[in-house]
Amino acid sequence: MENINFKKRTRSSSLKSMLSVDIRRALKSRLVYIILLIALVTPVLMTVMMSMMDGTVSTDPQTGVQTVIHGPENTWQQIGTLPTEGGADASGMDVMAMCNINMAFMGIAVFVCLFISDDFRSGFSKNLFTARARRGDYVISKTLMGISVGALMLILYFIGAILGGAIAGLSFETVGFSFANLVLCMLAKICLMAVFVPIFVLISVAAKRTAWLSIVGSLGGGMLLFMTVSLITPLTATLLHTLLCLAGGVLFSVGLGFASKSVLENTAVV
Amino acid sequence: MNAVEIRGAVKRFGEKTAVAGLDMTVPAGAIYGFIGENGSGKSTTEKMICGLIKKDAGEIRLFGRDYTDEAVRERVGVLIEAPGCFPSLSVFDNMMLAADNLGLEDAEAKVIEMLKLVRMEGAAGNKYKNCSLGMKQRVGIAMALLGEPYLLVLDEPLNGLDADGMRIMREVFLDIVKDGTRTVIVSSHLLSELQKVATHYGIIRHGKMLDEMTADELDADCPTYIGIRCEERGRARALLGIKYSRTEEDEAGFLRVYDNVPTEDVVKYLFEAGIYATEIKRDRISLEEYYIDLMNGGR
Repeated sequence: MENINFKKRTRSSSLKSMLSVDIRRALKSRLVYIILLIALVTPVLMTVMMSMMDGTVSTDPQTGVQTVIHGPENTWQQIGTLPTEGGADASGMDVMAMCNINMAFMGIAVFVCLFISDDFRSGFSKNLFTARARRGDYVISKTLMGISVGALMLILYFIGAILGGAIAGLSFETVGFSFANLVLCMLAKICLMAVFVPIFVLISVAAKRTAWLSIVGSLGGGMLLFMTVSLITPLTATLLHTLLCLAGGVLFSVGLGFASKSVLENTAVV
Repeated sequence: MNAVEIRGAVKRFGEKTAVAGLDMTVPAGAIYGFIGENGSGKSTTEKMICGLIKKDAGEIRLFGRDYTDEAVRERVGVLIEAPGCFPSLSVFDNMMLAADNLGLEDAEAKVIEMLKLVRMEGAAGNKYKNCSLGMKQRVGIAMALLGEPYLLVLDEPLNGLDADGMRIMREVFLDIVKDGTRTVIVSSHLLSELQKVATHYGIIRHGKMLDEMTADELDADCPTYIGIRCEERGRARALLGIKYSRTEEDEAGFLRVYDNVPTEDVVKYLFEAGIYATEIKRDRISLEEYYIDLMNGGR
């Protein structure tokens, strides 16, 4: 036993190995493909179905009041509320503003919670944390994975919205905003993922193997923030919106990342 | 050098004290049989050694360094309770994840090598959830061995294995330590199996170390005896008690003579008294008997 030789891994190689674990797991797991497929298919189905229902009159059987169902008029309604003249309603916090690309923020909550709780439910966390003294690597890797998958969801939703719009024959006209605004709006949403994901990571590492608790906690806890997504990332987004989202993402990722690391260091990981 | 040195370790879960001032010394290169009843603190101790739970007090050193030392941690392999595998992934993919975690170069070759060591190379493509219990345990050991650990912590690796599984596992244990660079801590309730491989023992009770010994010390403490089954057991026992210094009757109905005398002398002595032996054996007190005796305060 005289030839025992301990070599400490560098921080970068330690983080790289943790990222390798998560990337391999994500690629081998059906969860990622399912969630990305949902992100792609949802806007197509929603756009086409809502277009088909356009003009349908619904009558309340009790009051006899008739309601005309309005379908979408513009493809970009799947990305955000269309600005009215003067842009006053561009960031409206109505239900329709939530039933669009912003649902990806709820989808990513489910992904992060299941992705993390699976580590603890399967017992893989024992292998991870026995050999890995640095809990921070785990938090960084999960956060980066969450943000990446979240960004992919947003991009696929965007593509799905275009496909849906094309199938339903909706207008692609950018009314009250430019194409640059649209790109900045998408970038702002991607940056905003960095605000949401650390919250879900923190809740998940605290709940550990109890996936239902982390999902309920994430959806419940994030609900107030979900409501603000359309406000923070309107279709008329400017560079300032994007930069603010980026700054918020960095602050949340670092701040809550330390909190998650602290939770892992001070609680049993099995 | 000691692979593990624990002094006064304490771990509490709320009101319950799982480990209460435990001292433990595991020499490097040993196969350390860690024995204790359910709830005695074995798993908690092992989890503390692996850094999976934090101790409340005391000191834990691995190879002379603090147990939280990053460099040391990377050379600890673990199989606690069950192998940490994803059920829907194949054995190979699960092994590759473990290899990624350790940042191994040439990971595929290492994974195949370890699967060969545990006689699982033919099942690499099987989904983990479709493996038998014995196969799963072997995958767990292969995973624990991936990073060429200096210390392996195996909690109940023999649980639920059939006779063949036990034999394979025994062979694997001996393969693991044959180059002398690894230390293995293995806890099990199957003491007869443990006795076949362990070089050192630690017996824990109520979170405290009751006894630690080498296999040689255990042998010295577990004397050989002559066991005789015969009719007229009562008279035979009385006769043996007169001539020999330490005799007793065991649960299987054998009269035991612990004195270091030739077997034929004892048989002849009974024969001359008109008592015929129907069964004769020469045996040694087992680890199980030693353990039960210790638990009952007999030592």
